[in-house]
Parts: sequence; structure tokens; C-alpha cells
Amino acid sequence: MAEPDPPASGGPAAGDRAATARLVRAAQRGDTLAMNDLLDELAPFVGRICAPIALDDGPDAAQEALTVVFRSLRGLKEPAALYGWVRTIAAREAVRVARRAARAVPAELAELPAPGDPQLAADIRDVLARLSPEHRAVLVLRDLEGLDERTAAERLGLRVGTVKSRLHRARDTFRKAWSA
Amino acid sequence: MTAGWPTADPDPVRRLHALAAGVRNAHVTEGVVDAPIDVVWPLVADLEGEFGKIVTDMARVRVISRDGDRVEASAHSRFGPRARFSGVLRPGWCWLQSRFLLVGIAAADRGDGRTTVAFTGGLRLPGRAALVPVGVRSEGRRNLARLAARSQAHTAAER
Repeated sequence: MAEPDPPASGGPAAGDRAATARLVRAAQRGDTLAMNDLLDELAPFVGRICAPIALDDGPDAAQEALTVVFRSLRGLKEPAALYGWVRTIAAREAVRVARRAARAVPAELAELPAPGDPQLAADIRDVLARLSPEHRAVLVLRDLEGLDERTAAERLGLRVGTVKSRLHRARDTFRKAWSA
Repeated sequence: MTAGWPTADPDPVRRLHALAAGVRNAHVTEGVVDAPIDVVWPLVADLEGEFGKIVTDMARVRVISRDGDRVEASAHSRFGPRARFSGVLRPGWCWLQSRFLLVGIAAADRGDGRTTVAFTGGLRLPGRAALVPVGVRSEGRRNLARLAARSQAHTAAER
């Protein structure tokens, strides 16, 4: 379910990972103060994943993702996998909340800009608003979290072939739509 | 890398809901207090005074030490003798545990002069993230009502 990941943008540095692992174990043993500390550590990370996917519903998504995290924490077998596990939960919950909010644009209109696209940097929120929640999630996992598109799609339970073909087809369309 | 990307910061009340989800049998009582957070929160933060009038599970609270937002305290509990509590107290957030008791309180400014407040906690299965499933709802409701009453009394006294 969850494997160790490379350090994420919001994940701890190597020197802090042992401390985080100790915190996870203490929380799993029932120390609610350790759970409190883990919440402090994870909330900003979850907020960074959820907001670009759920947009205005980012706080809702972050709450729901953190709820799943703490409800399921005892099931996390390997504390080193914490950030990868939380990242997947956050992205999936954000997609679910965004879809529930019925603000999704049709997936076939959703196209992803290329990594490092200057137009993306120009106005991220405007770009995000053009995408479906699933594509926003792939974009966040790719551009913020450094996963490749295939891995991102797999984490989200999306069909990799569909995502890849859309990504290849997308870039020209995206630019045309942007410059129109 | 993250510059320009939107971020979300779940407020303390949202955080309390999430944290309570990890405590078996915990219930979160949430309500709106008709007073601004700068009236409401100092009552909660007054551990040796007002706190025990609101959270009556803990009486005669004595602060043993503070280090930043960390607090160590002792209190009499209606469930037993004096116990040592450790936890976190900062604006909008209070989370205290002893071996036998758990108290969580969160507050968020609604932006209209009122405050959303949430309570959780109760009698703890010793050392575990689990509560005895008795009275967790009614105690939250009573805590919220007492905090609302104390807040309104303070607001009236200041006028």
C-alpha cells in the first residue's frame, strides 16, 4: 500500500525522519500527544497537496484527508512510508471532495501543461481551474511532489494509458487555450 | 518550487475533528459562541482559573511548567485523584492528556464577531487513544454551554 518515498517538498529532511518515525510509533501506541505533534507536522503538507486539487474546497479536503490519516494510522506498518502514504490519501481525498463539489470541468477538456511551462508559473490558479480534479492531482503529484506521471496516475487509481495519452495530446491544446 | 501554488491551512476546529478521528469513541461537539475569539480563548487559556469552571472534568488545575506552547499541569479529576497532565496550549488550540483523561478544545474566528468552538475528550482507557464511551457527547455539550455562558458574562462585564 505504501512504500518509502524520496523526500517530498513538505517531507522532513533526512535528519528529522528518525524523529518522525518515533512520533508515528508513539502515536500508534496510543500517545495522543504524539498524535497532536504528528498533526502539527502533517497539516501544512496535506494543505499543500489538497489546495491545488480541491481549490476553494481545500480546507474541507485537508480536514477529510487528515481524518483518514488519523483513523488509519494504526494500519501504517512502516513509519518511513508515512509521507508517501499521506500524500496518496491527501490527493485522493482532494479529488473526491472536488468532484463532490461538482465544480469539475469535463475531463476531456482537461489538459496538463508541460513541466516547467512558463505559462504555468504565470498564473497557477487559473491553469488549475481549467483542469479536472484528477488532472490537477496528477499535476500536483508531478510538479510539487516530484513523482513521474505514471506513478502519480497509479497512486490516484487512474488508468495510466489514458493519462499518458492525454498528457501527450494536451500540451498544444493547453497552449492554444491559454493564448486564445 | 511551491511558490505561487495555492495552499490550505485547516483551522484548529477542522484539526480537532481530524485528530479526534484517531481516538476511538471520541465525539466532537461543535458550536458557535456569540463572542469574539479574543474574549473566548483567554477563558480557555486561563488554566488555573476559568478553565476548571468550563471543563469540570478537571478541577483545581495547577500549572507545573510551560515551555513554549508545551504545558505540564496537575489537576483533580472527577474520576479520581490528582493527576498529571501534559499537552499543548496555544491560541485556538488546547490538547491535554493524563493517563486517565483527555481534553481537546479548538476555536476558530468566524469573522463575524463570533467564534466556532469544538470540544472532545473524556475518560481515557489508560494510556490509549481510546475513550470510555460514556458521557462523551453530553460532557461536550455542557462544556460548550458553560464556555458560552462565561464568554457572554465577560462580554457583558466589559460593556
